[in-house]
Amino acid sequence: MPRNLKITLGILSVAVLIGLISLHGLHQRIEHLSQEQGSEEQERRELLKPSIATSTDAIVNAKIFWAAGADRIAPVEMQLPLSADSAQRGRQVLDALIADAPGDARRTLPADATLLGFYILPDGTAIADFSEALASETPSGILSEEMAVDSIARTLESNVAGARRLKILIHGQEVDSLAGHADLTGFFDLSPAVPAAATPSAAPGGAGGKPPQ
Amino acid sequence: MINPAHGGTDDGARADNGLLEKNVVLIFARMLRSEFERQGFRVVMTRNDDSNPSYEDRAAVANAYRDAIFISLHVSSTGQLGATRTYCYQFSSPVAIVSAATAAAAANAPGIAATNPVPASGLLVWEEAQRPYLESSHHVADVLQSALAQKFAGSPATSTRFAVRELRSVAAPAIAVEVSSVSVADSNSLLAIGASLASTVERSIQAMRPPGSLPASLGGTAGAK
Repeated sequence: MPRNLKITLGILSVAVLIGLISLHGLHQRIEHLSQEQGSEEQERRELLKPSIATSTDAIVNAKIFWAAGADRIAPVEMQLPLSADSAQRGRQVLDALIADAPGDARRTLPADATLLGFYILPDGTAIADFSEALASETPSGILSEEMAVDSIARTLESNVAGARRLKILIHGQEVDSLAGHADLTGFFDLSPAVPAAATPSAAPGGAGGKPPQ
Repeated sequence: MINPAHGGTDDGARADNGLLEKNVVLIFARMLRSEFERQGFRVVMTRNDDSNPSYEDRAAVANAYRDAIFISLHVSSTGQLGATRTYCYQFSSPVAIVSAATAAAAANAPGIAATNPVPASGLLVWEEAQRPYLESSHHVADVLQSALAQKFAGSPATSTRFAVRELRSVAAPAIAVEVSSVSVADSNSLLAIGASLASTVERSIQAMRPPGSLPASLGGTAGAK
């Protein structure tokens, strides 16, 4: 083998070896970064997660509305420590609506959705501010969006006194629609809570179906 | 006026088998258009390709015609495979806001042609254009839902009021029909659903025409946009 060819092959081999080592390092670095990103996301969620415990918490029978079949929602009674403060109480029940769903089939809101804020204005307007996941991960469709809105509205009106209407925000902003269908530019009426014995099973077009005004 | 929802970069619902709502509703819309045209209706579609007009553009097409009925077609991504259900929606808004004249007209003659609730000024607020037509929309949706419930077992007997965004600015009786679900076993099932849907919708609209009237229109000119 000519000497020049030997030298060229040697240089090439060294270059390939350096390339492989660099690639391995790059791969490890990418993995490390994605792990860091994941844990940052987890930390952010923990920080944003509403505090369940308040000084006025008392164990009560709360009604949380989840899917009960393909096209309806129904209340599930569960004992929850709920605050005497309406805004805190709203946070607590909506957090339960997302976090405590009794299985994927009954879930109305995406598991990744987070309640970023919940406020009640003096006129009874409840403002629920959800993370982007509510819009991006709710299955596209009128029915699924209706059930999502309905479950939020019915859960609030069954557990939070003083809330008269609901405004849903996504990441602090008013959006045109939830996932392309449900009009979120207006307000959804909330009816006063009804006695437990008279609570109807919710169907499409229930409280959540009430209109933007 | 037939509105195949979504289109362009907005796929709508996506089935596990790869079917996209935007394509399915376009097929359904064309089948429905053929059905209507066979019966002498004039039909306009808000899209007839893979474009995605905005809500406002779609409403503007509908609002350019008098005596139109706006029918929006959707297919959901949820629901049971092999169990097709259909849901009719009309826009919900406080009934109290509808004028007394509109309510009276609807009560006396709930047919489509009996309700012409445009204010004396002739001007409607764009964002609230559907409000004066809520009663007639409700009537159309209920009649259609009743017929669809007989065709598609498990579908509700009455229509649903909900804040469907695309209906808000339509100044005409307007409904959205959603078929559940986009997940079908094969393309034959899909075409069978489309055919049933088209014939049921056409017959229901036909039945709502006041006796002796000229054919109602789904827009003012034949053909697609």
